[in-house]
Amino acid sequence: MGAFNHGELTVICTNLRKACEKQLRSEEAALFGNLATYFSGKTESPGQATLQEIGAVIDEELATLYPQANEQAEAAGDRGTKRALLWGEKVTRLHKSFLMRLERNPKLLDETPVWVCESCGFLFVGAVSPAICPICKVPNIKIHKMEVR
Amino acid sequence: MMVASRNLRLCTKDCMCLFVCPTGATDTESGQIDASKCLDGCRLCVDACPGGAIYLVPRNYPKPQPKREDVVKALFALAESKVKTRALANGLGDDYPLARKALDFSLEVLAEDCVREGGYMLPQSVVTKEFLKDLRERYGDDPAFPVKAVERLLDLL
Repeated sequence: MGAFNHGELTVICTNLRKACEKQLRSEEAALFGNLATYFSGKTESPGQATLQEIGAVIDEELATLYPQANEQAEAAGDRGTKRALLWGEKVTRLHKSFLMRLERNPKLLDETPVWVCESCGFLFVGAVSPAICPICKVPNIKIHKMEVR
Repeated sequence: MMVASRNLRLCTKDCMCLFVCPTGATDTESGQIDASKCLDGCRLCVDACPGGAIYLVPRNYPKPQPKREDVVKALFALAESKVKTRALANGLGDDYPLARKALDFSLEVLAEDCVREGGYMLPQSVVTKEFLKDLRERYGDDPAFPVKAVERLLDLL
């Protein structure tokens, strides 16, 4: 399986957990959940980070990783991968714009809620969520308002 | 092997499924159909439901389409970058509690989508089984590792 780090192992397990939930296999879902919790606990933390550091990784993805992956998926005629890359790249651009807005206004989310789509990761700052996700077109029952206590 | 499942959002409680089901699989406290009582491919409830709320779920899926190696590599390079960004986002500290949470959730979805397209789509697949065996091999010695979960998954899938 190569040398996946703990963060990657975590998302492989949460992805399989969600796949089991969709197939209504609740016992299997819970077991993948246990594995995800184990790897999440082991995931290395880089410590304090800034908006700019996150922005730099995103710039690199948009400049290199997405164009490369798109080219390969196109050459392979891989529709599934092209779909994932199309949604992923759009969401990544939203992340970039979100970070820039936060940089200009650190209090951006004090009065305006932020929403995330569980199907594609669409991130939106606004009073109400759109009726359907503009990126993956799922109804907004799957777009969640982020809340902290 | 196909078993019936109910979309609870669409169910309008007309209860035609209870009327037609020969085994009582549709009559449960949870509202979901009892797969252990459901007859393989029977579909009487599927056809009887006026709300179109019942559908058949395959227990075994066809083999996934083969993926080209360079595409898989590109997807995992992206997944790795998403995981890195996610760790950084979690280091944003208490100045940005909501932004941190939103980025964490969104990046989780993006990373998962990459690994799903990279081969880890179906829990029943050979790729997943090999993955579980590799985990047992690599982490089995750690007393905190949930090895029983791996064993049980290998039995169930």
